[in-house]
Amino acid sequence: MIKITPRLLALIPLAVGINLALGQFAAATSLPVFLDTVGTILVAALLGLWPALLTGLVSQLAFTVISGNATWLAFLPIQLAVAACAALAAGRGWFRSVPTVIGTGLAMGLIAASLSWPISYLLFGGVTAGGVTVVTTLLNGAGVPLKWAVLAASLSNDLLDKTATFFIVRVVLVSLPARAIGRFPAAGRALGRA
Amino acid sequence: MSVGFVPGSGPLHRAHPFTPLAIAASTAVLAFALPVPFGPMILAGVLLLLVLVERAPVLKPALLTALPFWFFLYVIHGVFGKHPVIALGLSARVFAIVLGFLLALATVHPGRLVDALAERGVPFSFSFLLTATLQAVPRLRARATEILAAQRCRGLRVRGSIWRRAAAVIPLAVPLVLSAVAEVDERAIALEARGMGGVTNRTPLHPPPDSAVQRLIRWGLAAGTVTAIAVRFV
Amino acid sequence: MGVGRRDGHRNCREIRLITFDRVSFTYPGADRCAIENISFFIEPGSVTLVTGSLGSGCSTLLLVAAGLAPHLTGGTLVGKAVTLGVEVGAQAAHRQIAGRVGLLLPAPWTQLSGVAFSVADEVAFGPANLGRPRDRIARAVERAMALAGVSHLAERDPTTLSGGELQRVILAGIIALEPEVYLLDEPAVELDPEAADAFYRMLPELAREAAVVLATTDTDRAVEVAARVILLERGRCIAQGTPDGVLGSEKTVSASASTTVAQIAHAAGLSGPFPLTPEALALRFNA
Repeated sequence: MIKITPRLLALIPLAVGINLALGQFAAATSLPVFLDTVGTILVAALLGLWPALLTGLVSQLAFTVISGNATWLAFLPIQLAVAACAALAAGRGWFRSVPTVIGTGLAMGLIAASLSWPISYLLFGGVTAGGVTVVTTLLNGAGVPLKWAVLAASLSNDLLDKTATFFIVRVVLVSLPARAIGRFPAAGRALGRA
Repeated sequence: MSVGFVPGSGPLHRAHPFTPLAIAASTAVLAFALPVPFGPMILAGVLLLLVLVERAPVLKPALLTALPFWFFLYVIHGVFGKHPVIALGLSARVFAIVLGFLLALATVHPGRLVDALAERGVPFSFSFLLTATLQAVPRLRARATEILAAQRCRGLRVRGSIWRRAAAVIPLAVPLVLSAVAEVDERAIALEARGMGGVTNRTPLHPPPDSAVQRLIRWGLAAGTVTAIAVRFV
Repeated sequence: MGVGRRDGHRNCREIRLITFDRVSFTYPGADRCAIENISFFIEPGSVTLVTGSLGSGCSTLLLVAAGLAPHLTGGTLVGKAVTLGVEVGAQAAHRQIAGRVGLLLPAPWTQLSGVAFSVADEVAFGPANLGRPRDRIARAVERAMALAGVSHLAERDPTTLSGGELQRVILAGIIALEPEVYLLDEPAVELDPEAADAFYRMLPELAREAAVVLATTDTDRAVEVAARVILLERGRCIAQGTPDGVLGSEKTVSASASTTVAQIAHAAGLSGPFPLTPEALALRFNA
């Protein structure tokens, strides 16, 4: 499964810190995206599946503890799915160009939305903290049945968010110095260089 | 609003860290397993009582977290859906979960939890990851603020149209990630130098005392929760 | 080679804590060796200064000696490096040396454990990880905090300390490991002059039960305690021996690699070997 090396122990807290710092920036500047999985996807590209899953788990736990909002924990499956799909995409070199990144981001948004929709609809009656609920309420008020309003709101958010996140991770990977790429052999593969 | 550990001397503060955690965990499950609306409402009432006995300052953050939920639940289910009773039940569900979690956060000192987990043989790597992450987050947030300040000095605009705000993400993300990647090897060396690469089990520094009564309470909570699930879903 | 022989030390056996035999090390992706063809040994009770200009390989030498390069950094090791009887780079070598070598890095912030909520617990982080018994940890922590001068900070939250306080706390964390050899990389770089003086006065105390290898460019203070000097330049060892022999030579002083006093003596037109300390300079004038 996974051997938790000191390098992983050093990297994961930093990756989660990146998730939360960028997520906070997106929220503070009212961007219509979360950006709270940049660190997780980065770990997927640098080290692969298991480290990414672990980052996703720690990230959701940390986010829940720091916000004090226990309901976030219910959305753990999304972090894990994002981590797994990102590792898969990285293994196939889908960070290699802007079109592949956009394609991967859209596919990932679809997967994330199809997971977040049932969680928020079934467990919390369609209400979650965050801007998504405003969209849900507006659609629902305009006569769209609640189930579809939740889906539409989740979808629009996740498609945009995951595409933006994958794009950011690609920009970061491209700007990594050669020495860092040498230290993370998987990064070269993610960019389709090996 | 700040959440997290608040020093105190109530029964939950003195308890073994697993006891408040067991209360929070069984609350989270019972809030879904008990029938709406009265189950979650009674649950929320019990937790409110615990909070008052403990004198834990968690009511305000709990209300701040729950209010947006309440508002949207009322609009969607009470006004649009014409089911105010469902809105009431769902509101109590969210409130009970939030209250139980905040109560555990306020009464369990993370250091004591780490020691309690180490004592029960949980691999230290896992508690290390969570605790080290909680200390790393404010550091990275501060660094993000520094990077933004530096980029603003060089002419970056982070306000204005959505495109301008979106364009500010890259000059923030790239230095943030590069500095983190540069730090990884040095941190790994420091951790290994202080015995984190080993195979031995960590010594708990101040193992918290446990008691038979608390063990009984925790087993009781587990049994009650399992029963509630069985009655509801089987 | 070696510090003056100390007869009668530890059953008259000559114990070598660290032996480097023509050791070279290259980082992954680098085009030249970080250290090249280095040979030396470290005996118990000694204080050895490793010095050279920035990028000369002092830090890498410590990492190899600690068994962490190439284990953690990647890269290639050539030659034979033996630390505490374990050959570096061999299978599971780092496990056998873990906790027996006290490696201190220059930047204290990256060395903070992140799981301690008081300075005392931060200092106890290492020995607790090694699974040592609680009473031994408590004794070691108390002694380490006293030696590093941080006993008064014991209850403080480590994330609120200043750079200098933090560096001494991390040093205490290394002392609490009770290592057999200390590998200290710029250990006083964050300290104010007074604290740095106190640190160097404390070093012989550390060396009583272990050996100390000190990598620093602060030669002014280091020559006061070091019995031996290894001088590196671009990864190669260009001289080793006693401080007077290595740092007092014409060549070292004219390359500006020696102490301030030696540079002044050189500029004042004295002839080599140059005095390294104010006391030695005074003796020269009085003679």
